[in-house]
Amino acid sequence: MKTEPRGSKVWIIPDTVKGIMVRSLIQIARRPLMWVGLFLLPLFMFLFIGTMLDAGLPTRIPAGIVDKDGTKLSRGITQTLSGMQMVDLKETPNSYTQARQMLQEGKIYGFFMIPENFQSDLLSGRKPAITFYTNMAYYVPGTLLFKTFKATAIYSKAGVAMEVVQDVGQNPENFASLMMPVNVTSRCIGNPQLNYGIYLGNSFMPAVLQLMIMLCTVFALGQEVKYHTSPRLMKMAHGSIARALFGKLFPQTVIWWVMAFFLTAWMFRFNHYPMYGQWWVIALSQLLYVVASQAFAVAVFGILPNLRFSLSVCALTGILTFSIAAYSFPVQSMYSGLAIFSYLMPARYNFLIYANTALNGLPFHYSGIWFACYLVYPLLAILLMGRIKKAFVKPVYTP
Amino acid sequence: MRYRNRKKRSPWGHVKAWLTRLFRVYAHEFTLVLHDKGLLLFFGFLPFVYPVLYSLIYNPEVVREVEMIVVDHDRTPLSRELVRNIDACEQAWVMGYAADLAEAREAMNRGDCYAILEIPEGFDRKVGRGETGNAVMYCEMSLLLRYKSLLIAVTNVMEEMGSELMTETINRVGPLVGTITDGNLMPIVNASLGNIKSGFDSFIMPAVIILILQQCLILVVGMAGGAKHENPRMTLYNPYNYMGSTIGTMLGQALCYMTIMFIPCVFMIHYVPMIFRFPMAGNVLEELMFLLPMTLGCVGMGFVFQAVVTERESVFVSWVVTSLLFLLISGIIWPRYDMPVVWRWLGAIFPSTWGVEGFVKMNTDGSRLWQVGSEYINLWILAVVWWIAGWCAQKWVVHPEIRRHELQRAVVVAQIKAQRTERDETEVQG
Repeated sequence: MKTEPRGSKVWIIPDTVKGIMVRSLIQIARRPLMWVGLFLLPLFMFLFIGTMLDAGLPTRIPAGIVDKDGTKLSRGITQTLSGMQMVDLKETPNSYTQARQMLQEGKIYGFFMIPENFQSDLLSGRKPAITFYTNMAYYVPGTLLFKTFKATAIYSKAGVAMEVVQDVGQNPENFASLMMPVNVTSRCIGNPQLNYGIYLGNSFMPAVLQLMIMLCTVFALGQEVKYHTSPRLMKMAHGSIARALFGKLFPQTVIWWVMAFFLTAWMFRFNHYPMYGQWWVIALSQLLYVVASQAFAVAVFGILPNLRFSLSVCALTGILTFSIAAYSFPVQSMYSGLAIFSYLMPARYNFLIYANTALNGLPFHYSGIWFACYLVYPLLAILLMGRIKKAFVKPVYTP
Repeated sequence: MRYRNRKKRSPWGHVKAWLTRLFRVYAHEFTLVLHDKGLLLFFGFLPFVYPVLYSLIYNPEVVREVEMIVVDHDRTPLSRELVRNIDACEQAWVMGYAADLAEAREAMNRGDCYAILEIPEGFDRKVGRGETGNAVMYCEMSLLLRYKSLLIAVTNVMEEMGSELMTETINRVGPLVGTITDGNLMPIVNASLGNIKSGFDSFIMPAVIILILQQCLILVVGMAGGAKHENPRMTLYNPYNYMGSTIGTMLGQALCYMTIMFIPCVFMIHYVPMIFRFPMAGNVLEELMFLLPMTLGCVGMGFVFQAVVTERESVFVSWVVTSLLFLLISGIIWPRYDMPVVWRWLGAIFPSTWGVEGFVKMNTDGSRLWQVGSEYINLWILAVVWWIAGWCAQKWVVHPEIRRHELQRAVVVAQIKAQRTERDETEVQG
């Protein structure tokens, strides 16, 4: 019994590269799974990531204040804190224990603590400490709260100093600079609002693209082996694996190019991520990125010409890309033994080119080396083509 | 005849018979799993290797010694003190001085440093005059963690130098005050709860562990479903496993998967945090109890997923990328209360969302089971809902489909067996 993918043998297609392309397109059009993999999932993920991080930064983070002092001074601090944009002072727990329980239950992400006899201790120079607690199990809200709490504490300290000065009969106006004698202003180049969308969207969305490209490429190749249709493909290509692979994968390449351009438009045009560099650099990067990702998948398939194994490897590397490509945690801080693997994936180069070009507005020659790296993948794939040929001529399916 | 036999049974007999059949499904499912290298890979590789790999990547926890270049137009003791203090922080590393901003910018463009500190001329003079001395730090923003480290370093230095200068000024102007404000007037203490090191690994891994657990279960159930749809030539054994009642079959299979997942699960929630020194504030038994409805819900989701999986390998294409969706929608990165409503509601139907929420609270913040009661109840509700959906999918899509394949398979298997015996006989004769 001949087993082929549903209905792939009805059409009479000439044995040319064009014929292989038509066959490949028909195979794509007839498998709902390919529609899902090529269009539905990537588009959904782009939409999801883009809209999810649209607000830039979470604001109004639920927090609490434990005011054990209850004086004018402590109430002043409460007021300052509740006036902060980032904080939503939701709860006023009575004790540390209560506040901690609220934090454990997720009602608040952090709390500010004013100790007993705060005002009197302060004015008599007993140096009471102000303490604040943030729940770092939730990194982003925790960090933002930390920042706000710290600022509030510093302001309060300056205010207290003023009060002390006034109490001993000096004019506080002379001490205006006491508020902040040394100030270091941060200028965040390219992303002044610390927009999380700019930071995560620009790296995660191309990585999604890479993952889907790799999976679809390997899936398409593996199907030929699994259903024993590869000998037919080789026959159509007159025995040349290069022709077979080109005809088989080029239609997908074109589809991915369209997707990559849509992605670029979605990021920089619709979501208004910063784009300070030259457009052609980004465009070229996206074109080569698609080819490099496909070539990576072809190379994986060349090493392991088994549908399930190569899919597993692509899934593993594709998902690990989100961590190992150092989108959040810098390569320099990783263990060096792991950090080198960061440069294994095409997505890393896409990210570096994006950072150089779109975010920092640098001209082409700063990223030239990363473009060269894109070209290594096709070379690798070409080297491994012989193995694919072997697998295609004598297909063996291992479940 | 059959009817009478049935009638004779006591209620306990019915239960016993049902349990026997359930056990048969349970045992047979083990055989099926053992036959399938793909499933074994998922069970063996995913829960044991993934968490370790992930943890290793992020294990340095915090970003230290971020490279910084200084452009000092002031060149005074105070400006040097500022630079020295920043360099002394563990988060920043002053690589050196640049002559002007252009030179520093060039170093940043080449990727040699990630921040530039520019101290303007007259910095010291301004502070001495009682004005604010302003310096500017330019940060490269491709990674927020670097910026965060630098910001912490600079804020700490600002605060410390500020306190010193403040005391100095007060002492100069009003000696009486000096006795009061000697040293730090009001110490500011901060503590990170839960993730006490404020480490990135300790933050992301508890969530990732739960996601791996969910994805592993769904991929396994999905792939097992795919194997049942598969063309008979691909899998020679009979993958059909049915005990006469859909829910019973589902239960038997789910028990099998959960039995296999038990050790990986304990490894992930207990040993991985132990190896990599993540927060382990929770009670393991309570955590396991918490994860029970989650695993049930995941298996239920897997049963629904089986309805659309027509081939073993298609689970990769259609499911792997969702890990990212679940990670973002779980609220570990972006808090759930601030999400767009659509995504908050979508997130609410996945077991991993509540699983992550509850597990992080238990494991990292040390909540007890009763403190994550709402998540626990949500998980049970989800488990029931996904099992009902799974039952529908199995009853009306999966089982009819498999039954259609049955006859075909019988024919193919008979053919192949005949071929084999023929071949064996010729070999023996030869």
